[in-house]
Amino acid sequence: MRIRSQSRRLAAVALAATTALVIAGCGDGDSDTANNDTTNQSLTVWIMEGTNPDATPFFDKVKTAFKKDNNAELNIQFVPWSAAHDKFVTAVGGGETPDVAEVGTTWTPEFGEAGILTDLTDKVKGSAVADDLVDSLQTAGEVDGKLYGMPWYAGVRSVLYRTDVFEELGLKPPTTWDEWLTVAQAIKTAKPEMIAMPVAGDNEYGVYPFVWGAGGDIATLDGDKWTSKIDSADAKRGIQFYTDLALKHGLSSPAAATWKETDLRDNFGQGNVAMMISGSWTPKSIVEKAPALDGKIGAFPIPGEKSGLSPSFVGGSHLAVFEGSKNADLAWKFVEMMTTGEFANEWATQSSFFPGLKSLLDEATKQDDPLVAPFAEQMKDGGETVPVTPAYGKVQAKKTVPAMLQAILSGSKTVDQATADAAKEMTSEMQG
Amino acid sequence: MAGPLAAPVTSAPSEQRETGDRRAARRPGDRTPRAALGHFGIGRTVRPWLLLTPSLIVLGALLLYPLVRVVLISLQDFSGLRAVARGTAEFIGLDNYREVLRDEQLWRTVLPNTVVVALACVFLTVVIGTLAALLLESLGAKMRAATTIAILSAWAVPAVTGTYIWIWIFDPVNGLVSKAAQWAGLVAPGGENWFLDRTTFFAIVILNVVHHGFPFVALTVLAGLLTIPAEMVEASKLDGAGAWRRFWSITVPTLRPVFAVVTILSTIWDFKVFTQVYLMPGGSGSNREVLNLGTWSYVESFGQTEYGTGSAIAVVLTVVLLLITGIYLRTMFKEGEL
Repeated sequence: MRIRSQSRRLAAVALAATTALVIAGCGDGDSDTANNDTTNQSLTVWIMEGTNPDATPFFDKVKTAFKKDNNAELNIQFVPWSAAHDKFVTAVGGGETPDVAEVGTTWTPEFGEAGILTDLTDKVKGSAVADDLVDSLQTAGEVDGKLYGMPWYAGVRSVLYRTDVFEELGLKPPTTWDEWLTVAQAIKTAKPEMIAMPVAGDNEYGVYPFVWGAGGDIATLDGDKWTSKIDSADAKRGIQFYTDLALKHGLSSPAAATWKETDLRDNFGQGNVAMMISGSWTPKSIVEKAPALDGKIGAFPIPGEKSGLSPSFVGGSHLAVFEGSKNADLAWKFVEMMTTGEFANEWATQSSFFPGLKSLLDEATKQDDPLVAPFAEQMKDGGETVPVTPAYGKVQAKKTVPAMLQAILSGSKTVDQATADAAKEMTSEMQG
Repeated sequence: MAGPLAAPVTSAPSEQRETGDRRAARRPGDRTPRAALGHFGIGRTVRPWLLLTPSLIVLGALLLYPLVRVVLISLQDFSGLRAVARGTAEFIGLDNYREVLRDEQLWRTVLPNTVVVALACVFLTVVIGTLAALLLESLGAKMRAATTIAILSAWAVPAVTGTYIWIWIFDPVNGLVSKAAQWAGLVAPGGENWFLDRTTFFAIVILNVVHHGFPFVALTVLAGLLTIPAEMVEASKLDGAGAWRRFWSITVPTLRPVFAVVTILSTIWDFKVFTQVYLMPGGSGSNREVLNLGTWSYVESFGQTEYGTGSAIAVVLTVVLLLITGIYLRTMFKEGEL
């Protein structure tokens, strides 16, 4: 009997606890609505993780400012880049998209075309920054003349090098491809233990400057049909030069044939690498992991084949408002606050990226910082974008260009074979 | 064999009579509840289903619905975010299957890679697992506990972590194996990239998969070994059978159902290997020579939001696995032991 009454008592306690929880749950919801009596508005915002190492204090400030101006709450959720695309697709399938999200510039055409983003054209036209958007970022956010993504920040790749190695060997940053080769060979001779100029196989953004620098194109639009030009004579000459650095001149390492950008960064951090193609956002994280390299990292824009610069991919993020947001006007207010003025500048500085407005970018260009100025120059005078079509996302997902590079670097295909195969695959994906 | 087989035959009549008697004896006591149930209109056929309903609902929602949906999507032109947002797309019959099965890459690299690697993994996993189980059985209590913990830790490591560890070990610049090989003068100081070559790439994958998979086999087989009657082993020892003979004449026949289960499960797991390939350098699509069914279907379909194609591949893979399991069960258990 005792056991029985005890278990009954337990059951009663459990029941009471459950009920209390349920009631508390309801109560919470009720009090929320009650407190914000005039405006019970809130925005759900997805931000990509890792761009800014100190994102939390930044967004605390944004939240406070936004609440003050609009009496609305911000619910900021951080999403890792690697899981972001899948998360967007799942959210679309379940009808659970956020109000505003940071969208990678190469994804915006895909999302815009699918009809899940709000057309921002009129909002931007009516705002003070209508003519102030950075061109490459604006182009990347447009589908059929409609703007689906507001330029937020952007980055570009140039060449990072070891200033101490250059000083020791009396070398100067090169300005043509021939000079570049000479510099790399000098490093290889004097420091055979270092990788002078690694050619990373799993990094498409490393080869594009050579395609564009030689006067080639990845793909061109004829009418409404994209055709790959990666097998054109110019493009092939650029790819040949780049892969010859590894195969003919031995300036890379067999290991680099399967490297990603992160592997480049890690090996540079370990002191194994003398030069590499890398983004403006990397030096900070390298020094964080390897303080010994502080002050020993420099940058120069990617040299042109004979003169000028070789263009480099300008990538970055848009802020986009999703169809189905119940507070589209409020969402735009948030986008405007983030992409213009003080907050845009602060974000760019903290993350070592560049703001998406021309006026703010100009300010950044005037800085003397040796790790900012070369990238700013690259962005202004040597910025390019990959084909602006949702289909290019498919080409990237299929890893057409890295597959081409790796096949050349492993020796399984010649430049002619590999580029022909890549062009065929790319064209069929883009016209598919 | 004749003894046990004959026994039920001879005892059958008496047994039947016995149960018949028992049923008759129980009837009066039985009547009340059954009559009560009869009042509520719940018969004998409905009751088991009624009891199964909760689990059937859960299973139906979690397994049956996705299965049906995958088959439906595989028959649609389900591609791009537009289809995802709408939730459905145009039916195109078997076009997705045609496209998948016509792909040259599937027959030239993907399927050979998958089948050869899976077979090697299954074989090695079962052999090494069995050897580990025999070792565990022969150890004393303390050593057995220590070894079990060591083996279990290999199993407990998540596939992602385990894969990165193997990548580090074989890293061409800083990896343990590369350093050792350089020290021994086997490779040039520039290093050899083991991930670039199809054979060495899959050798590392197999090492990874087997290392991660053998503990399950070891523990399952050990559980089986402990059920073998000690008298049987003792008797064979008295008859002069050595360890080799005892293994093949006692252990293997007794544990045949156990081996069947671990082999089938390993086959299913090793056919679906994804993480261990995808995370390897070049494994996510940039090295076309090392694609297997898992990574190929991901790159071809989900990476490109071609969900129709992806579902068709999933259905094909399921059918292939069902066939393999079916054929395997038939050949191994003609005698009807399972």
